[in-house]
Amino acid sequence: MKGNRNILRFSLNWRIQHFLLMISVFFLIISGIALKFSDSWFGKFLIFLEGGFEARGALHRLSAILLIITALYHLIYIIFTKEGRKEFKSLIFEKKDFSDYFSLILYNLGKRNEKPKIKRYGFREKLQYWIFFIFVLLMIATGIVMWWHNYFFIFIPKWLFDLIYGVHGWTGTLILIFIILWHLYEIHLTPSNFPINMSFWDGYVSEEWLKEEHFLEYEEIKKEGK
Amino acid sequence: MKKTLLFFLILNLYSQDIVSRNRRCFLCHGKEDYKIIEDGKEKSLYVSPGEYYQSVHKDFLCTACHYDVTTIPHLRKPKKIHCLQCHYAGNVVGAPVKEMPEKYKESIHGRAKEKGKEAPDCIDCHTTHYVRNPSDSLSTINKRNVPKTCGKCHSLVKEEYFKGVHGKALLKKIYETAVCNDCHKEHDIFPPEDPRSTLNPKNVVATCEKCHSDITIMKKYGVPIKQVEAFKESFHGIALEYGIVKSANCVSCHGSHEILPSKDPNSPIHPKNLANTCGKCHPRASENVAKGKYHVIPYEKEAGVVYYVYNFFKWFTFLVIFGLIVHIILDLTGRGLRKFKK
Repeated sequence: MKGNRNILRFSLNWRIQHFLLMISVFFLIISGIALKFSDSWFGKFLIFLEGGFEARGALHRLSAILLIITALYHLIYIIFTKEGRKEFKSLIFEKKDFSDYFSLILYNLGKRNEKPKIKRYGFREKLQYWIFFIFVLLMIATGIVMWWHNYFFIFIPKWLFDLIYGVHGWTGTLILIFIILWHLYEIHLTPSNFPINMSFWDGYVSEEWLKEEHFLEYEEIKKEGK
Repeated sequence: MKKTLLFFLILNLYSQDIVSRNRRCFLCHGKEDYKIIEDGKEKSLYVSPGEYYQSVHKDFLCTACHYDVTTIPHLRKPKKIHCLQCHYAGNVVGAPVKEMPEKYKESIHGRAKEKGKEAPDCIDCHTTHYVRNPSDSLSTINKRNVPKTCGKCHSLVKEEYFKGVHGKALLKKIYETAVCNDCHKEHDIFPPEDPRSTLNPKNVVATCEKCHSDITIMKKYGVPIKQVEAFKESFHGIALEYGIVKSANCVSCHGSHEILPSKDPNSPIHPKNLANTCGKCHPRASENVAKGKYHVIPYEKEAGVVYYVYNFFKWFTFLVIFGLIVHIILDLTGRGLRKFKK
């Protein structure tokens, strides 16, 4: 990131949530993918690293508890705090996001000279948020069924179990793909942020960066500052 | 010419010699009611000459094994003899030596025998005087006779076995079926707790798989083939692979000696009995466990709704990967183009 990072973009509360989510999802993925690829050297190696098959399961469940705590924390944040409500509102999709999306494509293809002006959260961040929102809900729901399968046998037929097992595994795979190809690329690896955008850690971004990437947010901050 | 003739003549004489010399033994031992009283019990001393001369030892004199019988009639009881008298490495009579006796010593039968318990030795399965080649249909260790031979002691298991699919197949002369030793092995039988046992929980799947993944056999009798493969991909199968032996293996649900098809109301895998069977490990299993298919690969149509969901996800995932990569390329192209223009 170019320039002096002196604008606080993410609050401590925001960063704690991101950190918890990052840690829990990281461990969920490495312990989940270990099971999914358990018949290959890659899975065997991961299971070895995680201390064996049963320890792998324990790690997955522990990280799941952390994810559930994070999700509840986030719900409380967006419902009961002023900051959370404001953040949540700015994450709701609007018409502008779709036009921004197409303008950005045209801009990248060289058909337009102006980069679309993005608010605090553009389609990139909104897509990320909502995909995570839905996927985490789906993963928690299917995960709970599998964790307490002995209780769920009372109401759930075998075929639905098979389905839930499949959905959990596939959604996990999608999350991994999405994290690598969208989240990591767009936020950290893209040339303007490469190699890492440290704002997730300390919350600060530079003025130049904000002007370039989130022009409307930049303007607002300038207005408020004056 | 003369020499060869002479050779055959001598050979002929020699073999006649065996029969005629053994005839002196069979004079008494060839009588069906020939017996003595030993320890207050009747003991038959009869040896059927007819059967003896069909055995693998037909070219041997009785006294080749019973070497301490030097005069006939013998006045003392001959010493107990053992197969290893000849069947040892380096023997001069040409007795075949295999690793079987060594394996036997380690096995559950050999160990029990060593401790002085009642357990079968070579002769209990191979017979004493009528040892035939295993490929001989009359051999006690030929596939069609194995259950009878083991059943001499394991009589309850034999009964169960003949009620199950494998036993019934044997009665129908289907010799691809599994008999005792196909699963238990013969000389190296170990208790299931022993990790070397073919029926140790870690090895059960591999044992059943020997036949149940054999496409030619399974197709011939209309037995589904993908069962084992699908099981290995299931959570139970993966856990077993990683040594979690509390996980279910084939035997946990299907039983062992009396395996019955799911259509049979007595089968533990009959839909009505499934709740009980699963309930052995999953305490709240209800009739819900019967609502679905078992051992199906999710990517095959017979998996029903699961098949469609898996396929949806498969294609959706490919699409997502493709779409996201296109976006990355777009982003990089845009940056490249703008730099180039400057």
